[in-house]
Amino acid sequence: MSANSLLVPVSGSSTERQTVKYAVRRVLDGTGEVRIRFVYVHPPDRTQETSPEEVVADAGLSPEQATRLLDRVAVWAREDAGEDISRLTVETAQIGLTEYLFSPEDLATRLVEETEEHDIPHILLDPEYNPGIGSPLLRPLEYELTRFRECTVEEAPAQLRTRRSPLVIRSTPVQVGSLFLVSFLFYQLLAGQLYWFDLVTGVISATIVAVGLSRVTFHRNPSLRSLSQIGRLILYIPYLLVQIVKSNILIAAVILHPRLPIEPRLTRVRTTVWGGIPVMTLANSITLTPGTLSVRVDGRSLTVHTLVPSAREDLFDGGLERAVRYVFYGRESMKIASPRERGDTKILQPIPGKSDGSDENESPGETGEADETEVSDDREASGDTETSDDREASGDTETSDEQGGEQT
Amino acid sequence: MIETLRVGAIIVLVVLGLFFTFVSATGVLRLPDVYSRAHTASQADTLGAGFALAAVALALGFGTTSYKTVLLLFFIFITNPTAAHAISRAADEQGIEPWTTDDDRTDRDLYEASEVETDGGVATNGGEQP
Repeated sequence: MSANSLLVPVSGSSTERQTVKYAVRRVLDGTGEVRIRFVYVHPPDRTQETSPEEVVADAGLSPEQATRLLDRVAVWAREDAGEDISRLTVETAQIGLTEYLFSPEDLATRLVEETEEHDIPHILLDPEYNPGIGSPLLRPLEYELTRFRECTVEEAPAQLRTRRSPLVIRSTPVQVGSLFLVSFLFYQLLAGQLYWFDLVTGVISATIVAVGLSRVTFHRNPSLRSLSQIGRLILYIPYLLVQIVKSNILIAAVILHPRLPIEPRLTRVRTTVWGGIPVMTLANSITLTPGTLSVRVDGRSLTVHTLVPSAREDLFDGGLERAVRYVFYGRESMKIASPRERGDTKILQPIPGKSDGSDENESPGETGEADETEVSDDREASGDTETSDDREASGDTETSDEQGGEQT
Repeated sequence: MIETLRVGAIIVLVVLGLFFTFVSATGVLRLPDVYSRAHTASQADTLGAGFALAAVALALGFGTTSYKTVLLLFFIFITNPTAAHAISRAADEQGIEPWTTDDDRTDRDLYEASEVETDGGVATNGGEQP
């Protein structure tokens, strides 16, 4: 079977050169115009920094490095094409910068979307392809891709295949060492006294944990940065506790009130935190404070159920969000405007006329629709990649009316 | 003197913990739907357990093993919102609409609108609804 077009994800692996050669040969076997699209997928850790534009290379490649890699691969492809160069179109793209691809499943969905968008029915995988997404506990990308019927997947043959065990490939001594240290200290903390028996069993169990789980725990080498983050996290805890107590008292008053003055609404907040751990911290903090409950997390956008208007106002004022930003990105990032000022808030269930209407975002009906279209325009403008909302629209049928409108 | 203060503080903390657990139980009974109940169910864990554990720490005395109650609280604070989120997310995936003040449908209507699958199979997320 001949393939006139191929989608090749690249990650800078050792067998890339051969894969490119194979890909070019494959497409040139076909007749007429042929094309190859090389894509680089940014792992989610890339987006942990203050913003996608000013990222520091830590895991994966920076956008510039990725551009260079893609350029190199494109040059190889043109070189391999030889005199058939006129028939070959080489395209390159980077995906994953503005969205959060957590698991191989997300990645597979995204790659298949890419194939549909550009009408390329075949994916060619490098045998050593490692996008840096997922963990050993999740099913690998190859498996996830086979679940899609829309496109065919093929693995490029390569002679220089070095097979190593996954545990050794992926975790560095720093990761193992720091996990050992942390689990050993935790063991001693639980043991309470420094007795030789505890020390010996502590070493044994910490070794088992460190060797077995270091890849699951860390996605990149822990650095001084992580230490300062932990320090700021400790500062964050009292703030969170104060918030919890405040909203607990508020909700207790509402619940014990004879008329039960609640006004539950689903809202959506598009937060300005990036990456897995920060978003998880924020979503968990939102849930911990009674009155707000995170129902769905799609990348950066949180669907939050709010019980009373004042809790909703607090959420839109973004106090917790700002604090989480402080924890992960430092003091500078606290200057980013609150969700309300950014217009990243939206009440998904319209409030009937009686509402306190002071906030423009709270107005029901048409205004809400207009807000939504504006937001999605923003998304399209911000990059050629769509956010998970679009995925959500194609996959799930959502419940609320406004979201239903969004799909059509 | 110090001892009396300590016992007094323990009693106050336990009573506060009991109060918030009571509020939480009341809320679970009074509030209308699964989402709003999830709000208040977490109250028992955060402040209810929080004050109770503070009382325990005080009763055990500082320094010995009372720091373990802090660890306990830490783990509660991680697992509790995760569980609440899992419940509400599951409800959302089943297509259960959050109740709103102007909603006058009965429980039966809501159940039928939610298209809850009971065969244990893959959730279809509604879909056929116009």
